[in-house]
Amino acid sequence: MKPKTSTIAARGAVITLLVLAALVTLTPVVWLIAATTKNPDDFWSYYFFAPRLSNENFKALFAAIPFGLYVINSAFVTSSVVIIQLFFSSLAGFSLAKYDFKGRNVVTVLMLTTVMIPGQVIMAPLYEQIYRLGLMDTHAGLIIPGAVSVFGIFLFRQAMTQVPDEMIHAARIDGASEFQIYWGIVMPVVRPMVGAFCLISFMGAWNNFLWPQIILHTGSNFTLPIGLNSLVGLQQQQYGALMAGTLLSILPVVVLFLLLQKEFIAGLTSGAVKG
Amino acid sequence: MRSAEFSTPHSAFRIPHSAFRIFMPSFPFGRAAFWILLLCLFSGTARLYFTAHDARVAASHSETNIKFWTFAKQHYDAYQSAFDTFEKKHPGTKIEDQLVSWVAVTQRLQAAMWSGVDLPDVVEIPIDTAGGYFRGPIDDVGFLDITERVKTAGLLDGMVASRFTSYTSRGHIFGVPHDVHPVMLAYNAEIFKKEGVDADSIKTWDDFIRVGKKLTIPNKRYMIEFEEARSAHLEMCLFQRNSALFDIKGNVIFDGETGVKTMLWFVPLIAAKDRIANNLGGGQILTKAVEDGYFVCLVCPDWRSKSIEKDIPSMSGKMKLMPLPAVSPGQRRTSTWGGTMIGITKQCKHPDLAWQLILHLYLDKKELGQRFNDTNILPALRAAWKQPEFDEKREYWSGQKLGNLYSALAPDVPAQVTSPFIAQGKAKLGEALVDCITYYRANGDKNFESYARTRLKKSGDELRALIARNPY
Amino acid sequence: MNNQHRLQHKMAPYIFVAPFLVLFAAFQAWPIIKSLMLAFYVTAGPKNAVFVGTKNFQFLLNDPDFFIAVKNTATFAFCSVLLQLPVALGLAILLSQKWVRGRDFFRLAFFSPQLVGSVFVGVLFSVLFVPQYGIIVQFLNWLSPDRFPLDTKFLADQNLVMPAIIMTALWMYAGHHMVYFLAALQAVDKDLYEAAQVDGASGAQQFRSVTLPGIRPVVIFTLLTSTIGSFQLFELPFIMLGQGSGPNKSGLTVVMYLYQTGFVTGDLGYASTVGWKLAFFVLIISLAQLKLTGALKNE
Repeated sequence: MKPKTSTIAARGAVITLLVLAALVTLTPVVWLIAATTKNPDDFWSYYFFAPRLSNENFKALFAAIPFGLYVINSAFVTSSVVIIQLFFSSLAGFSLAKYDFKGRNVVTVLMLTTVMIPGQVIMAPLYEQIYRLGLMDTHAGLIIPGAVSVFGIFLFRQAMTQVPDEMIHAARIDGASEFQIYWGIVMPVVRPMVGAFCLISFMGAWNNFLWPQIILHTGSNFTLPIGLNSLVGLQQQQYGALMAGTLLSILPVVVLFLLLQKEFIAGLTSGAVKG
Repeated sequence: MRSAEFSTPHSAFRIPHSAFRIFMPSFPFGRAAFWILLLCLFSGTARLYFTAHDARVAASHSETNIKFWTFAKQHYDAYQSAFDTFEKKHPGTKIEDQLVSWVAVTQRLQAAMWSGVDLPDVVEIPIDTAGGYFRGPIDDVGFLDITERVKTAGLLDGMVASRFTSYTSRGHIFGVPHDVHPVMLAYNAEIFKKEGVDADSIKTWDDFIRVGKKLTIPNKRYMIEFEEARSAHLEMCLFQRNSALFDIKGNVIFDGETGVKTMLWFVPLIAAKDRIANNLGGGQILTKAVEDGYFVCLVCPDWRSKSIEKDIPSMSGKMKLMPLPAVSPGQRRTSTWGGTMIGITKQCKHPDLAWQLILHLYLDKKELGQRFNDTNILPALRAAWKQPEFDEKREYWSGQKLGNLYSALAPDVPAQVTSPFIAQGKAKLGEALVDCITYYRANGDKNFESYARTRLKKSGDELRALIARNPY
Repeated sequence: MNNQHRLQHKMAPYIFVAPFLVLFAAFQAWPIIKSLMLAFYVTAGPKNAVFVGTKNFQFLLNDPDFFIAVKNTATFAFCSVLLQLPVALGLAILLSQKWVRGRDFFRLAFFSPQLVGSVFVGVLFSVLFVPQYGIIVQFLNWLSPDRFPLDTKFLADQNLVMPAIIMTALWMYAGHHMVYFLAALQAVDKDLYEAAQVDGASGAQQFRSVTLPGIRPVVIFTLLTSTIGSFQLFELPFIMLGQGSGPNKSGLTVVMYLYQTGFVTGDLGYASTVGWKLAFFVLIISLAQLKLTGALKNE
């Protein structure tokens, strides 16, 4: 069957729109990459790439702030948050999915409360709390309050309800402890969900700004978003260095995303599509 | 669950996984989580190593350490030699100097003082945030009260006394002024020459505006850079007219008669059809604009003359300075913009030594002379202005003697009164400015005076309401 | 099962949710109670508090800055939801055409801004938006020199700050919503389309009678989450406006105001009051949306 001319025109329009949208979306990213390769003198003289390449911007970046230290801090805080959240959330999700216990509904209500009340409401008292616990200006103050992800509990609960009860029963008869069931049977089954959760949790923690901005004071504790932002207020605006820092800060998330892409999109949408 | 979609979950994850196989045969969270766990352990170890390293370094010089923070790169660079001589003068002392971001001293330091976490011993903060530190009970101010020390050292006589005003709250002095910051105008001497303008003929703002109308070419060239979204330059004009945001008792006065008059004068310069002022933003944008001849004049306090030298090196020999035009003939030919204080935090373990450091940095005439070459900043200590460095010709400024120009204006520099609400005051004045500009762009002179009056009053009342809430 | 096992079985769920409960109590429940109390105090940092009764609430009612913050935030939420969702749906529909080649590329391209965290988006766009030399102003000036002179200051003109932030948010989030819509579109029953075609329904009719009902749950979900997210806007304006609130507070949002009063000025009490007001708004808007979309009836 040959497409009619009207179909061809419609298809042309669709492709044009898609290409335009992709152009608009990708231009800033391409500009960013180009900006990091320009000599500071060329920065405003060329829209995108300049004829001469330069690593001045990266040099200026590393001279201006301890970028490597910020990367280590960010990596530590982010990976700790991801691992702890993963463990606690899946554990709680397991409990809600596979046990019938008194107070289960109460837990669900508590979870919903957390979702309903915006985090900013409790920011001031939480700050006071962190102050009293002596966690001001520490990474623990970043990691501990966010150690459980309610989103994660929902995600894992939903995935774990699909695990057949017979499997769990059989394991129990074989003498497996409850934790062994979680660790050896249920978790491996829902493992595909873990990839999605890791990425979402990683992105959230990596890009977190407001809370670290509030509780971190010492330069050597800064995470990337805070550290990079301190470059904005430092002396003369060095756009090139700033862009270099931005590009480097984005890379880890991009790499992780490319590795986990499939699981991520499936995990991200399955909850919503199922309603 | 559409398990079909998950049938090949790790197909995208093909990093060599032998490590995974060997070390974690029963790790149930999958490879992604495994690698993140490794990352966690690795970065955690790195953190531990660095922390331990820092602690070792700190322990190795068991001498007395003074932690010093400044937000200004120019100060930071210029202090290096002074730190060396101080360490030599006081054996066993080590200055840990750190350049921190603007945000660190405007927002973070205050929070750190509240929570009592690791603080610097001696710190420089910008003038417009100093007031914010004086909110709350006087005993809880994070800075050490140095009133007695200042008096004993005779600083009130030796330094430009009006500069202490900004660092005093309820009669207690918390900081020593770093500078005087008289304002001049920097101008593009090439354009002046080409257009046949003689800078000496500009004596009043009226003269300036007349020349400005001649030199301005819309969208190509503007006579001067004035900020329109923030209050900085308007405030400078208020100071020149002997007014300010607050009076010495902390009352809001910017909506008074002088405030209204200043606003009526300032707005048309930016908002009228034949405006002579514009602005684009700072940093490299400003550099390019000045190089392109987009701005003929820049408001130029002493500190900015160094920024201009550093940021726009290509303009060397093409720029000159002139005193600020007077409001009316024979009046003050300067104003003030910005400032820095140095203070000792309450956590400081060696306040006497810290005080010695302050005196060394701010009072040593020789050092001050040298530093003037590095920063162009006129120190508050009057005696220092006699140093030879202040009498040197500067190539960048077409051979002008910068030190003499600025110090000649210093006696006329108006005081900047502070208040715990200084930041909010600036914001409120800025809002009134933006609204007045918007109104003027739409309506021109029509009813502008009454509009400006009401709008300023509104800002003033809002600020007064804020102040009234403060229970301290 | 022996007794030990039975006991273990009984205790296990409690032990498994315990971490959540402990953290909830310490970092959620207690702060909520505490913030109710704090709302009656004026403080200078976490150490100093003075009881002021209901003065915070009274002041909040007449606080012009808070009013501006609410206005800005609402404007942002309204405009960005109204822009983002249709654009995202449009892209999803275009992409769900079976014959389109390189769908993986397009999907990745549209989604990619989401990978750039909001702080970094803010930094990037603050440079893209600079007047005179920035590429956005250069491009717009090329399109229409009269409407966009080169010295157009997107981030320093009170009328342009919000549009600039809304555009940035559109760039950042459209692809994110698109992924949801795309998945929903693919899940719509194909037989329904065929049945509609047999009935002779036009494309538009098919969209209304088959597509929309099919993706309704996702539309409601996206609508809710993006509205709630919009009300918590902070990073984009905060970074793009250089940690200030923009000319005439034109970029001040509720959360920025909360941050400034609580953590810069140090009045944690007033910040709590502002926080509760924000929670109240979010609740009202969410309920209104659920009611309007009829989502409440089904449950």
